[in-house]
Amino acid sequence: MNALIIGQLAVSGALMGLVYALIAYGFQLTYATSKSINFGQGELVMVSAFFSLTLLDLGVPYALMVPGGLIFGALLGLLVERTGVRLALEEKSEGWVLLTIILGLFFFSAAENIWGRDDRPFPTPLSQNPVQVFGIDITRMEISVAVGVFAIMGLIELFKRRTLLGKAFEAVSADRDAAELMGISATRTVMLSYGLSGAVAALAGILVSPITTVGPTMASAMILKAFSVAVVAGLDSGFGVVLIGMILGALEGLASFYIGSGWREAPGLVLLILALAVRPTGVFGKAGIRKV
Amino acid sequence: MKHHLLFSTLLTAALGLQAQGTVKIALTGPFTGGSAPMGTSMRDGAKLAIAEINAAGGIQVGGKKMKIEAIERDDEAKNERGALIAQELASMGDLAGVIGTVNTGVCMSGDRYFQEKGITKIITPAAGSASMTQWSKAGVKDLSIFRFAADDAIQSSMVVEEAIRRGYTKVGLLFDSTNYGVSGRDDLMNQIKLQGGKLQVVAQEKFNIGDKDMTAQLLRCKLGGAQAILIWGIGPELAAVANGMAKIGMKAPLIGGWTLSMSNFIDNAGRNGNGTMMPETFIEDPITPKAKAFIDGYHRTFNVGRIPSPVSAAQGYDAVYIFAAAVKQAKSTDTHKIKAALEDLKEPVKGVIATWHHPFSKWNPADERTHEAFHRQQVVMGMVQDGRVVFANAAEKAQLVKAAGK
Repeated sequence: MNALIIGQLAVSGALMGLVYALIAYGFQLTYATSKSINFGQGELVMVSAFFSLTLLDLGVPYALMVPGGLIFGALLGLLVERTGVRLALEEKSEGWVLLTIILGLFFFSAAENIWGRDDRPFPTPLSQNPVQVFGIDITRMEISVAVGVFAIMGLIELFKRRTLLGKAFEAVSADRDAAELMGISATRTVMLSYGLSGAVAALAGILVSPITTVGPTMASAMILKAFSVAVVAGLDSGFGVVLIGMILGALEGLASFYIGSGWREAPGLVLLILALAVRPTGVFGKAGIRKV
Repeated sequence: MKHHLLFSTLLTAALGLQAQGTVKIALTGPFTGGSAPMGTSMRDGAKLAIAEINAAGGIQVGGKKMKIEAIERDDEAKNERGALIAQELASMGDLAGVIGTVNTGVCMSGDRYFQEKGITKIITPAAGSASMTQWSKAGVKDLSIFRFAADDAIQSSMVVEEAIRRGYTKVGLLFDSTNYGVSGRDDLMNQIKLQGGKLQVVAQEKFNIGDKDMTAQLLRCKLGGAQAILIWGIGPELAAVANGMAKIGMKAPLIGGWTLSMSNFIDNAGRNGNGTMMPETFIEDPITPKAKAFIDGYHRTFNVGRIPSPVSAAQGYDAVYIFAAAVKQAKSTDTHKIKAALEDLKEPVKGVIATWHHPFSKWNPADERTHEAFHRQQVVMGMVQDGRVVFANAAEKAQLVKAAGK
């Protein structure tokens, strides 16, 4: 019985943790090519979820809504890159930090004005009844989160390794200046990474909404955890964020059961402090050489 | 310059005349945001009553009939905004009174401005005990704040009563980490003790606003063998609890405060919300002619098929009628005289919830019930069934029909 409880808590938590991992993966994509991240990533998750919900409300079938939402997310990512990041990067300034935060606030206000401040249910074609796996109850929505997260991360990693464009992506990540000398447009590659990052955020929104409902503040708690995951895992390893995301999620569940429901957030924070104190580059991060 | 002076004197006189013609009542509450279903329903219920009174020529004030003028203010459920609005309204001078406020926090931050100037306010539908006990604790001798809502003390006693009535012996206690949730937990624990300690609390679990995964809290209740979950929180998290119970295959019903009847619980919990019970002052079921007229009127006027928060709407409606009765008895639009009349209403007021006989009495700091209109007998148990709230107990429904027939 006891093992069953631990299993239930760990699995439920780990599946939620995969969403943190997916958002953290969005940070990694842009960090790899441009050493910048979108601090308004949570708002991208939220706005894309609202957009997808609107598509469903308009009668768009579920199977078309998903690509629609992803394209919308990618476009938003491109918008962030063009308005918030590109100029700052050209100036070699850190202005993108503030600009992406401002864009996030803008998206938040826009969402409040367009869709209102209420939490709304997000329909799902999946049945509400849980399935039992070795005595552990898992909802179909949770399974869809796992499938979706692994599918999109797998696809993007394959793309990076197998296609020419993907190789350009890797080249810019490895050495931007050298890549440019080889005739690869760094600007285009950064655009690509922001577009992908936006699509990843949109997918996170679509996957998590049936569980969390859609509202302007839906991502504010998740984004902090995604940051923790990105920092603890490091900004280089896709495998790392998945692992750390699942561990963090499982720890949350276990802590709220064994220590008390008020202590839910504690393990994540302890993990974050430990990581920053012991391995500032992240558990799976590479220590970079910085030219001064 | 002279002309200017003359002009402004005339203008003041004209404005004064206009103001004299109406009874100004401010309606405040959150009309946007998470508490909006309650705020807008309260406002619209009140406006329905105002429209009816005005259509009949207005309130008889002394020798003439005066119409009601509603002043609406959206506090967005934010304490600081509530305080600003209270200051603005308190400085108006010709305000007859205020009706509204959904959030106890907003009462706590704003009501003192009304009390300082002695402006009559009827709180509805905010239910937190603190918004009235703050005045008894301060030992205020003369109070201009009244409440027209089933306060948490009544609600928690009914929740415990219902669990015992249904034969449960083991319950889990879930509450959110806000002031509302924690004081709800205290009220429930207190009631369990008062009602003979028949319920064994197998788990006491907290959750935060925004939490979506309640697995850990629910597992503790399940392992303890809880037959019902007594719960105090707000819509979206309550829905997360209902959905979490379906996930781990827990069948125990949720029994809790009236926030369980908010549309953002009912809609987000869907099928998993069925069987949830909560105390209600009004249920959207046309069981009496008066209730039917009110429900039809609301649906028609505001073009909806379901009142977002029927309790808030009915309370807003009845509060306006009670206020109007006080204006009539005071023969004045002076807020101080209205307050005195409210404390001693001679004529019964026919409302949609009940016929109100002397709802308030002279304020006694040792007993805040003097300014509370609701008692146990005006409240019934509601139950969620397929997206609507229905009567949980047929006996209570029959009693209401019988009372109306008298």
